[in-house]
Amino acid sequence: MNTPNNTRKSAFGKTRHLRLPLALLSLAVMAACSTTPPNNARVDEARNALRLAQSDPQTQGLAGGEMRQAADALASAEAALAQREDMATVDHLAYLAQQRVNLLVEAGNRRASEMAVAKATTERDQMRLRARTAEADAAQRSAANSQQDAQAALREAEAAQRAARTAQASAEASRRDAVSSQRDAQTAQQLAGEAERRAQALEMQLKALDAKKTERGMVVTIGDVLFDTDQAQIKSGGLRSMDKLVDFLKAYPERKALIEGFTDSVGDDGYNLALSNRRADAVRAALVGMGVSGERLTTRGLGEAYPVAGNDSTGGRQLNRRVEIVLSEDGGVIAPR
Amino acid sequence: MTPSSHPNAARRAALPATSRQLGAVLAFAVAAVLAACASTPPPPTEQIAVTTAAVANAAAQGAQELSPAELGLARDKLRRANLAMAAQDNEQAMRLAQQAQLDAQLSQAKANSAKARRAAEEVEAASRALREEMSRKAP
Repeated sequence: MNTPNNTRKSAFGKTRHLRLPLALLSLAVMAACSTTPPNNARVDEARNALRLAQSDPQTQGLAGGEMRQAADALASAEAALAQREDMATVDHLAYLAQQRVNLLVEAGNRRASEMAVAKATTERDQMRLRARTAEADAAQRSAANSQQDAQAALREAEAAQRAARTAQASAEASRRDAVSSQRDAQTAQQLAGEAERRAQALEMQLKALDAKKTERGMVVTIGDVLFDTDQAQIKSGGLRSMDKLVDFLKAYPERKALIEGFTDSVGDDGYNLALSNRRADAVRAALVGMGVSGERLTTRGLGEAYPVAGNDSTGGRQLNRRVEIVLSEDGGVIAPR
Repeated sequence: MTPSSHPNAARRAALPATSRQLGAVLAFAVAAVLAACASTPPPPTEQIAVTTAAVANAAAQGAQELSPAELGLARDKLRRANLAMAAQDNEQAMRLAQQAQLDAQLSQAKANSAKARRAAEEVEAASRALREEMSRKAP
Protein backbone atom coordinates (compact mmCIF):
# COMPACT_ATOMS: atom_id res chain seq x y z
CA MET A 1 0.00 0.00 0.00
CA ASN A 2 2.82 2.34 0.75
CA THR A 3 4.76 1.56 -2.32
CA PRO A 4 2.19 2.58 -4.94
CA ASN A 5 1.43 5.71 -2.94
CA ASN A 6 5.05 6.65 -3.10
CA THR A 7 5.35 6.00 -6.79
CA ARG A 8 2.09 7.99 -7.49
CA LYS A 9 3.48 10.84 -5.41
CA SER A 10 6.64 10.81 -7.47
CA ALA A 11 4.62 10.72 -10.67
CA PHE A 12 2.51 13.69 -9.49
CA GLY A 13 5.69 15.48 -8.75
CA LYS A 14 6.85 14.97 -12.28
CA THR A 15 3.61 16.18 -13.77
CA ARG A 16 2.94 18.99 -11.33
CA HIS A 17 2.23 21.41 -14.18
CA LEU A 18 -0.75 19.24 -15.19
CA ARG A 19 -2.51 19.25 -11.79
CA LEU A 20 -4.48 22.46 -12.16
CA PRO A 21 -6.09 21.68 -15.55
CA LEU A 22 -7.04 18.18 -14.33
CA ALA A 23 -8.65 19.55 -11.19
CA LEU A 24 -10.64 22.03 -13.27
CA LEU A 25 -11.75 19.28 -15.62
CA SER A 26 -12.92 17.05 -12.81
CA LEU A 27 -14.84 19.94 -11.25
CA ALA A 28 -16.51 20.66 -14.57
CA VAL A 29 -17.55 17.00 -14.95
CA MET A 30 -18.97 16.92 -11.44
CA ALA A 31 -20.87 20.16 -12.02
CA ALA A 32 -22.33 18.78 -15.23
CA CYS A 33 -23.46 15.66 -13.43
CA SER A 34 -25.14 17.58 -10.64
CA THR A 35 -27.17 19.78 -13.01
CA THR A 36 -28.39 16.82 -15.09
CA PRO A 37 -29.48 14.22 -12.51
CA PRO A 38 -28.98 10.58 -13.35
CA ASN A 39 -31.89 8.67 -14.94
CA ASN A 40 -33.46 5.36 -13.95
CA ALA A 41 -36.33 3.89 -15.98
CA ARG A 42 -37.98 2.25 -12.96
CA VAL A 43 -37.92 5.46 -10.96
CA ASP A 44 -39.45 7.31 -13.92
CA GLU A 45 -42.14 4.65 -14.19
CA ALA A 46 -42.98 4.89 -10.48
CA ARG A 47 -43.09 8.68 -10.70
CA ASN A 48 -45.47 8.66 -13.65
CA ALA A 49 -47.66 6.07 -11.98
CA LEU A 50 -47.82 8.13 -8.80
CA ARG A 51 -48.73 11.27 -10.76
CA LEU A 52 -51.49 9.37 -12.55
CA ALA A 53 -52.84 7.92 -9.29
CA GLN A 54 -52.79 11.30 -7.57
CA SER A 55 -54.86 12.85 -10.36
CA ASP A 56 -57.46 10.07 -10.09
CA PRO A 57 -60.51 11.31 -8.15
CA GLN A 58 -60.90 7.81 -6.67
CA THR A 59 -57.77 8.29 -4.59
CA GLN A 60 -58.66 11.78 -3.39
CA GLY A 61 -59.20 12.05 0.33
CA LEU A 62 -58.30 8.45 1.13
CA ALA A 63 -58.31 8.06 4.88
CA GLY A 64 -55.39 5.60 4.93
CA GLY A 65 -51.78 6.70 4.55
CA GLU A 66 -51.43 5.14 1.10
CA MET A 67 -50.88 8.48 -0.67
CA ARG A 68 -48.18 9.65 1.78
CA GLN A 69 -46.45 6.25 1.88
CA ALA A 70 -46.27 6.15 -1.91
CA ALA A 71 -44.88 9.68 -2.04
CA ASP A 72 -42.31 8.84 0.65
CA ALA A 73 -41.21 5.68 -1.15
CA LEU A 74 -40.77 7.59 -4.42
CA ALA A 75 -38.79 10.26 -2.57
CA SER A 76 -36.47 7.59 -1.15
CA ALA A 77 -35.89 6.13 -4.61
CA GLU A 78 -35.23 9.56 -6.10
CA ALA A 79 -32.83 10.41 -3.25
CA ALA A 80 -30.89 7.21 -3.80
CA LEU A 81 -30.71 7.97 -7.49
CA ALA A 82 -29.50 11.50 -6.82
CA GLN A 83 -26.83 10.24 -4.45
CA ARG A 84 -25.67 7.84 -7.16
CA GLU A 85 -26.11 4.78 -5.10
CA ASP A 86 -25.66 1.50 -6.91
CA MET A 87 -28.24 0.46 -9.46
CA ALA A 88 -29.52 -2.52 -7.45
CA THR A 89 -30.43 -0.22 -4.54
CA VAL A 90 -32.15 2.32 -6.79
CA ASP A 91 -34.04 -0.43 -8.63
CA HIS A 92 -35.09 -1.93 -5.31
CA LEU A 93 -36.38 1.38 -3.96
CA ALA A 94 -38.12 2.10 -7.28
CA TYR A 95 -39.83 -1.28 -7.07
CA LEU A 96 -41.02 -0.51 -3.52
CA ALA A 97 -42.29 2.90 -4.72
CA GLN A 98 -44.12 1.23 -7.64
CA GLN A 99 -45.79 -1.26 -5.30
CA ARG A 100 -46.80 1.57 -2.93
CA VAL A 101 -48.45 3.33 -5.92
CA ASN A 102 -50.24 0.09 -6.80
CA LEU A 103 -51.45 -0.16 -3.20
CA LEU A 104 -52.74 3.42 -3.48
CA VAL A 105 -54.61 2.54 -6.69
CA GLU A 106 -56.17 -0.56 -5.12
CA ALA A 107 -57.26 1.39 -2.06
CA GLY A 108 -58.93 3.87 -4.43
CA ASN A 109 -60.67 1.04 -6.28
CA ARG A 110 -61.88 -0.46 -3.05
CA ARG A 111 -63.18 2.88 -1.82
CA ALA A 112 -65.00 3.52 -5.10
CA SER A 113 -66.70 0.13 -4.87
CA GLU A 114 -67.68 0.71 -1.27
CA MET A 115 -69.13 4.09 -2.20
CA ALA A 116 -71.05 2.43 -5.03
CA VAL A 117 -72.47 -0.07 -2.54
CA ALA A 118 -73.53 2.70 -0.21
CA LYS A 119 -75.05 4.70 -3.07
CA ALA A 120 -76.94 1.72 -4.49
CA THR A 121 -78.18 0.76 -1.04
CA THR A 122 -79.47 4.28 -0.45
CA GLU A 123 -81.12 4.29 -3.87
CA ARG A 124 -82.70 0.94 -3.19
CA ASP A 125 -84.03 2.13 0.16
CA GLN A 126 -85.46 5.23 -1.49
CA MET A 127 -87.06 3.13 -4.21
CA ARG A 128 -88.57 0.83 -1.60
CA LEU A 129 -89.85 3.85 0.26
CA ARG A 130 -91.39 5.21 -2.93
CA ALA A 131 -92.90 1.83 -3.68
CA ARG A 132 -94.37 1.61 -0.20
CA THR A 133 -95.70 5.14 -0.49
CA ALA A 134 -97.24 4.33 -3.85
CA GLU A 135 -98.76 1.16 -2.46
CA ALA A 136 -100.12 3.02 0.53
CA ASP A 137 -101.58 5.72 -1.73
CA ALA A 138 -103.14 3.08 -3.95
CA ALA A 139 -104.56 1.29 -0.94
CA GLN A 140 -105.96 4.56 0.34
CA ARG A 141 -107.51 5.33 -3.04
CA SER A 142 -108.94 1.84 -3.23
CA ALA A 143 -110.33 2.18 0.27
CA ALA A 144 -111.91 5.52 -0.64
CA ASN A 145 -113.39 3.95 -3.77
CA SER A 146 -114.69 1.05 -1.75
CA GLN A 147 -116.25 3.44 0.70
CA GLN A 148 -117.90 5.34 -2.12
CA ASP A 149 -119.10 2.08 -3.61
CA ALA A 150 -120.42 1.02 -0.24
CA GLN A 151 -122.21 4.32 0.20
CA ALA A 152 -123.67 4.08 -3.29
CA ALA A 153 -124.75 0.51 -2.57
CA LEU A 154 -126.27 1.65 0.70
CA ARG A 155 -128.16 4.43 -1.07
CA GLU A 156 -129.36 1.96 -3.68
CA ALA A 157 -130.40 -0.46 -0.98
CA GLU A 158 -132.30 2.28 0.80
CA ALA A 159 -133.99 3.33 -2.42
CA ALA A 160 -134.86 -0.30 -3.11
CA GLN A 161 -136.20 -0.64 0.42
CA ARG A 162 -138.32 2.47 -0.04
CA ALA A 163 -139.55 1.14 -3.38
CA ALA A 164 -140.30 -2.20 -1.76
CA ARG A 165 -142.23 -0.48 1.03
CA THR A 166 -144.17 1.54 -1.52
CA ALA A 167 -144.85 -1.58 -3.55
CA GLN A 168 -145.91 -3.41 -0.41
CA ALA A 169 -148.19 -0.58 0.57
CA SER A 170 -149.68 -0.46 -2.88
CA ALA A 171 -150.01 -4.23 -2.87
CA GLU A 172 -151.78 -4.07 0.44
CA ALA A 173 -154.02 -1.32 -0.89
CA SER A 174 -154.71 -3.43 -3.93
CA ARG A 175 -155.39 -6.39 -1.74
CA ARG A 176 -157.69 -4.30 0.40
CA ASP A 177 -159.35 -3.00 -2.74
CA ALA A 178 -159.64 -6.53 -4.01
CA VAL A 179 -161.04 -7.77 -0.73
CA SER A 180 -163.38 -4.85 -0.60
CA SER A 181 -164.37 -5.42 -4.22
CA GLN A 182 -164.88 -9.05 -3.44
CA ARG A 183 -167.01 -8.10 -0.47
CA ASP A 184 -168.91 -5.64 -2.60
CA ALA A 185 -169.33 -8.28 -5.24
CA GLN A 186 -170.42 -10.76 -2.64
CA THR A 187 -172.77 -8.23 -1.18
CA ALA A 188 -174.05 -7.36 -4.62
CA GLN A 189 -174.35 -11.03 -5.36
CA GLN A 190 -176.16 -11.58 -2.09
CA LEU A 191 -178.40 -8.62 -2.79
CA ALA A 192 -178.94 -9.82 -6.31
CA GLY A 193 -179.64 -13.28 -4.99
CA GLU A 194 -181.99 -11.87 -2.40
CA ALA A 195 -183.78 -9.75 -4.98
CA GLU A 196 -184.00 -12.72 -7.22
CA ARG A 197 -185.32 -14.85 -4.41
CA ARG A 198 -187.83 -12.16 -3.51
CA ALA A 199 -188.85 -11.82 -7.15
CA GLN A 200 -189.23 -15.58 -7.37
CA ALA A 201 -191.20 -15.65 -4.14
CA LEU A 202 -193.40 -12.81 -5.35
CA GLU A 203 -193.98 -14.54 -8.62
CA MET A 204 -194.87 -17.74 -6.84
CA GLN A 205 -197.23 -15.95 -4.48
CA LEU A 206 -198.84 -14.05 -7.31
CA LYS A 207 -199.24 -17.29 -9.17
CA ALA A 208 -200.82 -18.77 -6.10
CA LEU A 209 -203.20 -15.78 -6.05
CA ASP A 210 -204.01 -16.43 -9.69
CA ALA A 211 -202.99 -12.81 -10.34
CA LYS A 212 -203.09 -11.37 -13.81
CA LYS A 213 -200.55 -8.86 -14.95
CA THR A 214 -202.20 -5.74 -16.38
CA GLU A 215 -200.92 -2.28 -17.24
CA ARG A 216 -202.25 -1.02 -13.92
CA GLY A 217 -200.40 -3.69 -11.95
CA MET A 218 -201.16 -7.16 -10.74
CA VAL A 219 -204.89 -7.80 -10.50
CA VAL A 220 -206.36 -10.49 -8.29
CA THR A 221 -210.00 -11.29 -9.08
CA ILE A 222 -212.17 -12.67 -6.39
CA GLY A 223 -215.25 -14.26 -7.93
CA ASP A 224 -218.82 -14.04 -6.68
CA VAL A 225 -218.36 -17.41 -5.13
CA LEU A 226 -217.31 -15.42 -2.04
CA PHE A 227 -220.67 -13.73 -1.81
CA ASP A 228 -224.21 -14.96 -1.80
CA THR A 229 -226.56 -13.25 -4.25
CA ASP A 230 -227.42 -9.72 -3.21
CA GLN A 231 -225.22 -10.13 -0.10
CA ALA A 232 -222.05 -8.38 0.84
CA GLN A 233 -221.03 -10.89 3.50
CA ILE A 234 -218.05 -12.98 2.53
CA LYS A 235 -218.68 -16.64 2.91
CA SER A 236 -216.54 -18.50 5.40
CA GLY A 237 -214.94 -20.56 2.59
CA GLY A 238 -214.08 -17.33 0.80
CA LEU A 239 -212.22 -16.01 3.78
CA ARG A 240 -209.84 -19.00 3.60
CA SER A 241 -209.14 -18.27 0.01
CA MET A 242 -208.14 -14.75 0.99
CA ASP A 243 -205.35 -16.04 3.26
CA LYS A 244 -202.93 -16.05 0.34
CA LEU A 245 -203.69 -12.42 -0.38
CA VAL A 246 -203.09 -11.50 3.26
CA ASP A 247 -199.77 -13.36 3.23
CA PHE A 248 -198.77 -11.44 0.13
CA LEU A 249 -199.65 -8.05 1.59
CA LYS A 250 -197.80 -8.90 4.81
CA ALA A 251 -194.71 -10.00 2.87
CA TYR A 252 -194.63 -6.78 0.83
CA PRO A 253 -195.59 -4.05 3.25
CA GLU A 254 -194.70 -1.25 0.77
CA ARG A 255 -197.41 -2.30 -1.63
CA LYS A 256 -200.88 -0.90 -1.49
CA ALA A 257 -204.10 -2.37 -2.76
CA LEU A 258 -207.14 -0.88 -4.53
CA ILE A 259 -210.24 -2.93 -3.95
CA GLU A 260 -212.86 -2.51 -6.73
CA GLY A 261 -216.33 -4.01 -6.57
CA PHE A 262 -218.43 -4.93 -9.68
CA THR A 263 -221.94 -6.30 -10.34
CA ASP A 264 -223.91 -7.77 -13.26
CA SER A 265 -226.46 -5.78 -15.10
CA VAL A 266 -229.45 -7.24 -13.17
CA GLY A 267 -231.16 -4.55 -11.12
CA ASP A 268 -230.98 -0.74 -11.37
CA ASP A 269 -227.66 1.06 -11.58
CA GLY A 270 -227.88 2.86 -8.26
CA TYR A 271 -228.50 -0.33 -6.38
CA ASN A 272 -225.73 -2.15 -8.16
CA LEU A 273 -223.27 0.69 -7.44
CA ALA A 274 -224.11 0.59 -3.74
CA LEU A 275 -223.88 -3.18 -3.74
CA SER A 276 -220.47 -3.07 -5.38
CA ASN A 277 -219.32 -0.57 -2.75
CA ARG A 278 -220.52 -2.75 0.06
CA ARG A 279 -218.78 -5.78 -1.34
CA ALA A 280 -215.47 -3.88 -1.73
CA ASP A 281 -215.80 -2.62 1.80
CA ALA A 282 -216.52 -6.16 3.01
CA VAL A 283 -213.27 -7.38 1.45
CA ARG A 284 -211.43 -4.47 2.96
CA ALA A 285 -212.88 -5.20 6.36
CA ALA A 286 -211.96 -8.84 6.04
CA LEU A 287 -208.36 -7.92 5.13
CA VAL A 288 -208.10 -5.46 8.02
CA GLY A 289 -209.53 -8.09 10.29
CA MET A 290 -206.77 -10.46 9.14
CA GLY A 291 -204.04 -7.97 10.10
CA VAL A 292 -203.48 -5.75 7.06
CA SER A 293 -203.19 -2.04 7.78
CA GLY A 294 -206.30 -0.17 6.57
CA GLU A 295 -204.18 2.74 5.32
CA ARG A 296 -202.86 0.57 2.53
CA LEU A 297 -206.31 -0.37 1.33
CA THR A 298 -208.55 1.77 -0.83
CA THR A 299 -212.08 0.74 -1.95
CA ARG A 300 -214.30 1.76 -4.85
CA GLY A 301 -217.61 0.49 -6.13
CA LEU A 302 -218.02 0.55 -9.88
CA GLY A 303 -221.49 -1.12 -10.24
CA GLU A 304 -222.21 -2.86 -13.49
CA ALA A 305 -219.49 -0.97 -15.44
CA TYR A 306 -216.44 -2.72 -16.88
CA PRO A 307 -217.97 -6.15 -17.44
CA VAL A 308 -215.54 -8.93 -18.17
CA ALA A 309 -218.17 -11.11 -19.89
CA GLY A 310 -221.62 -10.80 -21.54
CA ASN A 311 -224.54 -10.27 -19.19
CA ASP A 312 -226.87 -12.28 -21.47
CA SER A 313 -225.97 -15.63 -19.93
CA THR A 314 -225.82 -16.95 -16.44
CA GLY A 315 -222.16 -17.84 -16.75
CA GLY A 316 -221.37 -14.34 -18.11
CA ARG A 317 -223.25 -12.57 -15.32
CA GLN A 318 -221.45 -14.72 -12.72
CA LEU A 319 -218.11 -13.63 -14.11
CA ASN A 320 -219.17 -9.99 -13.92
CA ARG A 321 -220.18 -10.21 -10.26
CA ARG A 322 -216.73 -9.87 -8.81
CA VAL A 323 -214.20 -7.95 -6.70
CA GLU A 324 -210.84 -7.07 -8.26
CA ILE A 325 -207.88 -6.20 -6.06
CA VAL A 326 -205.22 -4.20 -7.86
CA LEU A 327 -201.80 -4.54 -6.22
CA SER A 328 -199.46 -1.64 -6.60
CA GLU A 329 -195.70 -1.80 -7.27
CA ASP A 330 -193.33 -0.97 -4.36
CA GLY A 331 -194.02 2.75 -4.84
CA GLY A 332 -197.63 2.24 -3.91
CA VAL A 333 -199.06 4.20 -6.87
CA ILE A 334 -201.97 2.70 -8.82
CA ALA A 335 -202.86 4.21 -12.15
CA PRO A 336 -206.50 5.21 -12.34
CA ARG A 337 -208.88 3.33 -14.58
CA MET B 1 -3.31 5.95 6.75
CA THR B 2 -0.24 7.05 5.07
CA PRO B 3 1.10 8.88 8.18
CA SER B 4 0.54 5.82 10.43
CA SER B 5 2.74 3.59 8.26
CA HIS B 6 5.85 5.35 9.26
CA PRO B 7 5.55 4.83 13.07
CA ASN B 8 4.37 1.28 12.37
CA ALA B 9 7.45 0.60 10.41
CA ALA B 10 9.59 2.17 13.13
CA ARG B 11 7.86 0.03 15.79
CA ARG B 12 8.30 -3.06 13.66
CA ALA B 13 12.01 -2.35 13.65
CA ALA B 14 12.16 -1.76 17.45
CA LEU B 15 10.11 -4.78 18.60
CA PRO B 16 10.68 -7.59 16.13
CA ALA B 17 8.88 -10.79 17.36
CA THR B 18 5.94 -10.14 19.77
CA SER B 19 4.96 -6.80 18.33
CA ARG B 20 4.65 -8.29 14.85
CA GLN B 21 2.16 -10.84 16.18
CA LEU B 22 0.18 -8.16 17.96
CA GLY B 23 0.11 -6.05 14.81
CA ALA B 24 -1.31 -8.91 12.81
CA VAL B 25 -4.10 -9.40 15.36
CA LEU B 26 -4.87 -5.69 15.31
CA ALA B 27 -4.90 -5.56 11.55
CA PHE B 28 -7.28 -8.51 11.44
CA ALA B 29 -9.60 -6.92 14.00
CA VAL B 30 -9.64 -3.61 12.12
CA ALA B 31 -10.31 -5.44 8.86
CA ALA B 32 -13.13 -7.42 10.46
CA VAL B 33 -14.73 -4.27 11.89
CA LEU B 34 -14.44 -2.52 8.55
CA ALA B 35 -15.93 -5.50 6.70
CA ALA B 36 -18.82 -5.69 9.16
CA CYS B 37 -19.56 -1.99 8.77
CA ALA B 38 -19.29 -1.89 5.00
CA SER B 39 -20.84 -5.02 3.48
CA THR B 40 -22.57 -7.24 6.06
CA PRO B 41 -25.73 -5.68 7.68
CA PRO B 42 -27.43 -7.69 10.48
CA PRO B 43 -29.79 -10.51 9.42
CA PRO B 44 -33.30 -9.01 8.70
CA THR B 45 -35.16 -11.34 11.06
CA GLU B 46 -37.67 -8.65 12.00
CA GLN B 47 -38.51 -7.84 8.38
CA ILE B 48 -38.80 -11.54 7.60
CA ALA B 49 -41.31 -11.91 10.44
CA VAL B 50 -43.33 -8.90 9.24
CA THR B 51 -43.35 -10.23 5.69
CA THR B 52 -44.38 -13.72 6.82
CA ALA B 53 -47.30 -12.23 8.71
CA ALA B 54 -48.29 -10.11 5.69
CA VAL B 55 -48.33 -13.20 3.44
CA ALA B 56 -50.45 -15.10 6.00
CA ASN B 57 -52.90 -12.20 6.27
CA ALA B 58 -53.27 -11.93 2.50
CA ALA B 59 -53.93 -15.67 2.22
CA ALA B 60 -56.47 -15.48 5.04
CA GLN B 61 -58.40 -12.75 3.23
CA GLY B 62 -58.89 -14.69 0.03
CA ALA B 63 -55.87 -13.52 -1.94
CA GLN B 64 -55.20 -17.12 -2.98
CA GLU B 65 -58.41 -17.05 -5.04
CA LEU B 66 -58.74 -13.36 -5.90
CA SER B 67 -55.11 -12.32 -6.48
CA PRO B 68 -53.01 -15.46 -6.91
CA ALA B 69 -50.24 -13.87 -9.06
CA GLU B 70 -49.22 -11.27 -6.44
CA LEU B 71 -49.47 -13.78 -3.60
CA GLY B 72 -47.27 -16.26 -5.51
CA LEU B 73 -44.73 -13.54 -6.13
CA ALA B 74 -44.68 -12.62 -2.43
CA ARG B 75 -44.24 -16.26 -1.36
CA ASP B 76 -41.42 -16.80 -3.87
CA LYS B 77 -39.57 -13.69 -2.72
CA LEU B 78 -40.04 -14.61 0.95
CA ARG B 79 -38.60 -18.04 0.25
CA ARG B 80 -35.61 -16.49 -1.54
CA ALA B 81 -35.19 -13.99 1.31
CA ASN B 82 -34.94 -16.85 3.78
CA LEU B 83 -32.42 -18.57 1.53
CA ALA B 84 -30.36 -15.37 1.22
CA MET B 85 -30.37 -14.88 4.99
CA ALA B 86 -29.20 -18.43 5.46
CA ALA B 87 -26.39 -17.70 2.99
CA GLN B 88 -25.34 -14.63 5.02
CA ASP B 89 -26.44 -12.34 2.17
CA ASN B 90 -28.37 -10.15 4.59
CA GLU B 91 -28.70 -7.15 2.28
CA GLN B 92 -30.33 -9.24 -0.44
CA ALA B 93 -32.47 -10.94 2.18
CA MET B 94 -33.68 -7.56 3.46
CA ARG B 95 -34.56 -6.31 -0.03
CA LEU B 96 -36.41 -9.46 -1.00
CA ALA B 97 -38.29 -9.44 2.30
CA GLN B 98 -39.28 -5.78 1.88
CA GLN B 99 -40.49 -6.39 -1.68
CA ALA B 100 -42.34 -9.52 -0.61
CA GLN B 101 -44.10 -7.56 2.14
CA LEU B 102 -45.45 -5.02 -0.34
CA ASP B 103 -46.31 -7.80 -2.82
CA ALA B 104 -48.33 -9.52 -0.10
CA GLN B 105 -50.03 -6.29 0.91
CA LEU B 106 -50.90 -5.53 -2.73
CA SER B 107 -52.28 -9.05 -3.09
CA GLN B 108 -54.48 -8.49 -0.05
CA ALA B 109 -55.59 -5.04 -1.29
CA LYS B 110 -56.52 -6.48 -4.69
CA ALA B 111 -58.51 -9.25 -3.00
CA ASN B 112 -60.34 -6.70 -0.87
CA SER B 113 -61.10 -4.36 -3.76
CA ALA B 114 -62.30 -7.34 -5.83
CA LYS B 115 -64.65 -8.32 -3.01
CA ALA B 116 -65.91 -4.73 -2.73
CA ARG B 117 -66.43 -4.58 -6.50
CA ARG B 118 -68.37 -7.83 -6.40
CA ALA B 119 -70.55 -6.50 -3.57
CA ALA B 120 -71.16 -3.29 -5.52
CA GLU B 121 -72.16 -5.28 -8.60
CA GLU B 122 -74.55 -7.40 -6.56
CA VAL B 123 -76.17 -4.41 -4.90
CA GLU B 124 -76.45 -2.60 -8.20
CA ALA B 125 -78.00 -5.67 -9.82
CA ALA B 126 -80.50 -5.94 -7.00
CA SER B 127 -81.24 -2.25 -7.29
CA ARG B 128 -81.73 -2.60 -11.03
CA ALA B 129 -84.06 -5.56 -10.54
CA LEU B 130 -86.08 -3.63 -8.01
CA ARG B 131 -86.30 -0.64 -10.36
CA GLU B 132 -87.46 -2.86 -13.23
CA GLU B 133 -90.03 -4.55 -11.04
CA MET B 134 -91.38 -1.20 -9.88
CA SER B 135 -91.51 0.23 -13.39
CA ARG B 136 -93.36 -2.94 -14.49
CA LYS B 137 -95.73 -2.73 -11.55
CA ALA B 138 -96.51 0.92 -12.22
CA PRO B 139 -99.40 1.42 -14.58
